Amino acid sequence: MRAITYTRPATAQAAITAFAQAGEGARYIAGGTTLYDLMKLGIETPAHLVDVSAIEGLGSIDTGGDVLRFGGMATMADVARDRVVMERYPLLAEALGKAASQQLRNMATVGGNLLQRTRCLYFRNGASGLYPCNKREPGSGCAAIGGLDRGQALLGQSDACTAVSPGDWPVALVALDASVEVEGPDGTRTMPVADLYRMPGDTPHLEFTLRPGEIITAVMVPATAAGRRSTYHKVRDRESYAFALASAAVALEMDGETVREARIALGGVATVPWRARAAEALINGAPLTRERALATGHAAFADARPGRHNAFKIQLGAEVVADAVMIAAGRAS
Amino acid sequence: MSALTPTQDRMRIDARDKVLGRPLFAADIPLRGLLHAMTTPARIAKGRITAIDTMAAAAVPGVVRVFTHEDFADLRVTPATLGGNQPGFQPLTGTEIVFRGQPVALVVAATLEAATEAAELVEVTYEAAPFTATMDEPGAEPQPYETAVEAGDAAAAMASAEVTVDVEYRHPQNHHNPLEMISTTAHVEDGRLIVREGTQNTNALKFGTAGALGLDPQRVDAVSPYIGGGFGQKNVLQLQSVLVSRAAMALGRPVKLVMPRAQLFHTASHRPASRHRIRLGASRAGRISAAIYESDQENARYDHFLRSAHNEAVSRLYGIPNYLGRERLVRVDTNPPGHMRAPHEHPGSYAFESAVDELSYALGMDPLALRLANDAERDAISGKPFTSRTLAACLDRGAALFGWSERRAAPHSMVAEDGSLVGWGVASGAYKGTMCPCVARLRVQADGLTRLSVSGHEMGQGIRSAVGAELMELLPIRADRLEIRLGDTTAIDQHHTAGSWGTGGAVPAVRAVVGRFMAALTELGGPLRPGESVHTRLMALKRPVLEVEIEHLGTSQGPDALERMRRGGVAVVGPEYPDFVSFSWIAHFVEVRVEPTTRRIRVPRVVSVADCGRVMNRRTATSQVAGGVVWGIGAALREAAEIDPRYGFVLNNDLADYVVPVNADIGAITVDLLDIADPMLNASGVRGVGEVAMVGAAAAVANAVYHATGKRIRHLPIRIDDLL
Ligand SMILES: Cc1cc2nc3c(=O)[nH]c(=O)nc-3n(C[C@H](O)[C@H](O)[C@H](O)COP(=O)(O)OP(=O)(O)OC[C@H]3O[C@@H](n4cnc5c(N)ncnc54)[C@H](O)[C@@H]3O)c2cc1C
Repeated sequence: MRAITYTRPATAQAAITAFAQAGEGARYIAGGTTLYDLMKLGIETPAHLVDVSAIEGLGSIDTGGDVLRFGGMATMADVARDRVVMERYPLLAEALGKAASQQLRNMATVGGNLLQRTRCLYFRNGASGLYPCNKREPGSGCAAIGGLDRGQALLGQSDACTAVSPGDWPVALVALDASVEVEGPDGTRTMPVADLYRMPGDTPHLEFTLRPGEIITAVMVPATAAGRRSTYHKVRDRESYAFALASAAVALEMDGETVREARIALGGVATVPWRARAAEALINGAPLTRERALATGHAAFADARPGRHNAFKIQLGAEVVADAVMIAAGRAS
Repeated sequence: MSALTPTQDRMRIDARDKVLGRPLFAADIPLRGLLHAMTTPARIAKGRITAIDTMAAAAVPGVVRVFTHEDFADLRVTPATLGGNQPGFQPLTGTEIVFRGQPVALVVAATLEAATEAAELVEVTYEAAPFTATMDEPGAEPQPYETAVEAGDAAAAMASAEVTVDVEYRHPQNHHNPLEMISTTAHVEDGRLIVREGTQNTNALKFGTAGALGLDPQRVDAVSPYIGGGFGQKNVLQLQSVLVSRAAMALGRPVKLVMPRAQLFHTASHRPASRHRIRLGASRAGRISAAIYESDQENARYDHFLRSAHNEAVSRLYGIPNYLGRERLVRVDTNPPGHMRAPHEHPGSYAFESAVDELSYALGMDPLALRLANDAERDAISGKPFTSRTLAACLDRGAALFGWSERRAAPHSMVAEDGSLVGWGVASGAYKGTMCPCVARLRVQADGLTRLSVSGHEMGQGIRSAVGAELMELLPIRADRLEIRLGDTTAIDQHHTAGSWGTGGAVPAVRAVVGRFMAALTELGGPLRPGESVHTRLMALKRPVLEVEIEHLGTSQGPDALERMRRGGVAVVGPEYPDFVSFSWIAHFVEVRVEPTTRRIRVPRVVSVADCGRVMNRRTATSQVAGGVVWGIGAALREAAEIDPRYGFVLNNDLADYVVPVNADIGAITVDLLDIADPMLNASGVRGVGEVAMVGAAAAVANAVYHATGKRIRHLPIRIDDLL
């Protein structure tokens, strides 16, 4: 067996120290639902696991103030059933509740979720040694380009990589301008969730902007009235237990029938959680109709560059945005 | 013998144990000193091994032995190993790689973890050869067409038909994905080789293993305690079966191999992709006069999956006097395809019943009315009578339960309150009424115990509940102390259980053994008095035990069938018998709702009415039909193996990415069973239901999608992409 060491410190500082001492091959582990999966597939091969799930205080949920604060180790299930989240931020509850399965959500954390890796089939079939993948092996090529690309990105992809950023939760967070708090060897910092992700460019193996040893200690969402008129709308190949073919996180502030400010982000179609600012601009200040909502959806895909089998997602994605806008608008403020 | 009355409602015999998690499946049975095996899959789809380096693998702590082709070169391929549709190729006997993921090494270790790690460390050098992954790629080799069904003059009738359709349908490659992984556990005890596998065919396991290893079959025992999903994937000797046995013999220790799911996509059988061109000719009044149906089905280059049978059932759905069915296999470089629930009848009925639907629109006729108008009195293909012809009754009953008369004819004309497009589709299905030889031994004890041993395998379909029902219907015994032994060559001689002949084979055999038992009991002390149990009678006779045994043949089978079974072979009869043909029937009615914006397809309700002769256990039979419908929905809307032809492997090789339906995909499924005994076929009046359940279900979904949207999609699965 490949030997691994495992520690489970009680404080963030102890975890950061343990991570630094472990050196090469150290990995944090939280719920383990992604990491163990990728270890079994032979794609992740850590030598040292530093379990952050016992760190005191990181499981807390505080939805009382101007900023909703979710400890990095709060489980997806717990956050999804938080009363404030359910009542005032349906897009957050739905983004979590429509992900994975109840069993997985009971284990998985809202911090670990942000760092899950792509579901690109060519990436995941890594251990077979069959498929070139620039994410797994920089410079080896990309089998998805010119291959079965129904699940690949139409937005944000490069000549080196078309892998989709799979998570639902980050999409909802990006729509709400959420940020993460990270603690590392050099102290604590915060950054927008959107800045956590790198575009693939010609270095698709570099996915996140976290520095070595940094822990996500909290996810912070600025309280907003837009949360009430919001939804996370997700269309997939079956009703449940599947990643998005196309999804949209939408939150609206309305003046009567007019959209004052829309926040729209896309999932399932892009290489990073995708904020659709041009689409937002099209609907802001406009009276809301389904036609306008659909035009907004199309605007979100104006820059889409489809491959061989995923062009349908332009139409699908536009409809998903339009439906999401209408669902959100239909909710009581 | 008593008349064929409907059976009592009874709980599934193993329900309580299963709910409590008690049954031990083959791989669960604890054995002292057990070693774990793991295979190394080939990384090429075709070519040759030029070198194998096992040093690193052997050095992993806990590894006992790394077997390569050099260790297995003497395995023999015999008629027994080829029994049924066993692939004609045994991996690990040479350097040749003929399919994707073919096992190239077998590592045995003290722990599963060590075996897994070592299997990954076996270093194989290959010389890759060009290959053809699917039948759409250059290099696919169509075999000559074979005429499968012929009646009248189809070409002439087609030429003179007033209305015709000419359509082509495609079905993708599907994988069974059983919950119980395929496994083999073998050990030697008292000079006997004991092999355990969740298999539908312990006979193949016993005789095939003996044949391959050059052993006397009488020294090999095969046991299949329960099967967690068979559906044809566990029909035959698996590619790894004899390797595990040989390893256990070589090491003198029990060895177990559980194939990981990702490998199953490449080593176990699957439903091959197929293409179906169908021409139908009819009069303007809606009488179908001609059908010409040609099919192509993928096959491995070397495989013994001998033929397809797409026409057999669909040619019997209606009284079509002029029928030509031709089938051919297309050879490609794949792992061996095999049988998967309604193996030919599902894709065949999907295509045929879609074509019939298209004809109904071409005629401007209600699709149900068209089907009823073409009901057959006798089998148009053989000219023989049916043992039971109840398709119209299934259709009528289903239509009433579904409310079909409310349907608006025009496609794209029914809209739900929420704006969803509503579509109602119908399709018929048939599956051959088959039987096989069966040995049954009945032992009743004065102390209350009854032990019934029969040929048959329990794969969750409920064969114990079916044979137990017949026994309890006929014999006053204590139900709580009934033991049923099957799936075990040490209990009684076994025959392959598949093709819906399990019930047809075993239930009449139970009736026969009860008959013999009653005769013996009566001889000892006169007939039982009303209310008297067999146990009381035995007590009164001071006989602790009475045991009888019977060899039972399928209707019209001769003793050679039993001989074939006892040599490890398969001996099945049906659907054509000397004096009649026999089929089970089903009608499916499906409602789909298509979201107008995103084109998501939902299936809120299905009504399926089946006739399988006398229903032995309404609960298990109903559950079979509901399960068949779920399979139909999966096939229609979800499932397909994704194969990149440049590489040849199945990319979506796990349950996250090979999309089977989940609970949320399944709406209301209403099942009704006509429960009309079929005494012409056998003394118990029974036919199978497990296969017919699925036949036509996918077509009914596809037809409903057309009715909802006006868009005819001629391939499966039908997904959002197709409807946007
Ligand atoms: C079958 C299946 C289906 C799924 N379906 C969906 C879906 O539909 N939608 C969806 O969004 N997700 C889905 N998921 C993914 C799931 O949401 C993630 O696996 C989960 O959120 C990861 O959280 P975790 O705590 O288990 O992370 P882990 O597996 O423990 O860790 C994931 C990664 O994050 C790192 N990490 C974890 N916590 C921290 C931290 N606090 N600070 C720094 N680094 C950290 C780890 O080192 C690791 O690299 C699915 C997963 C599976 C297995």
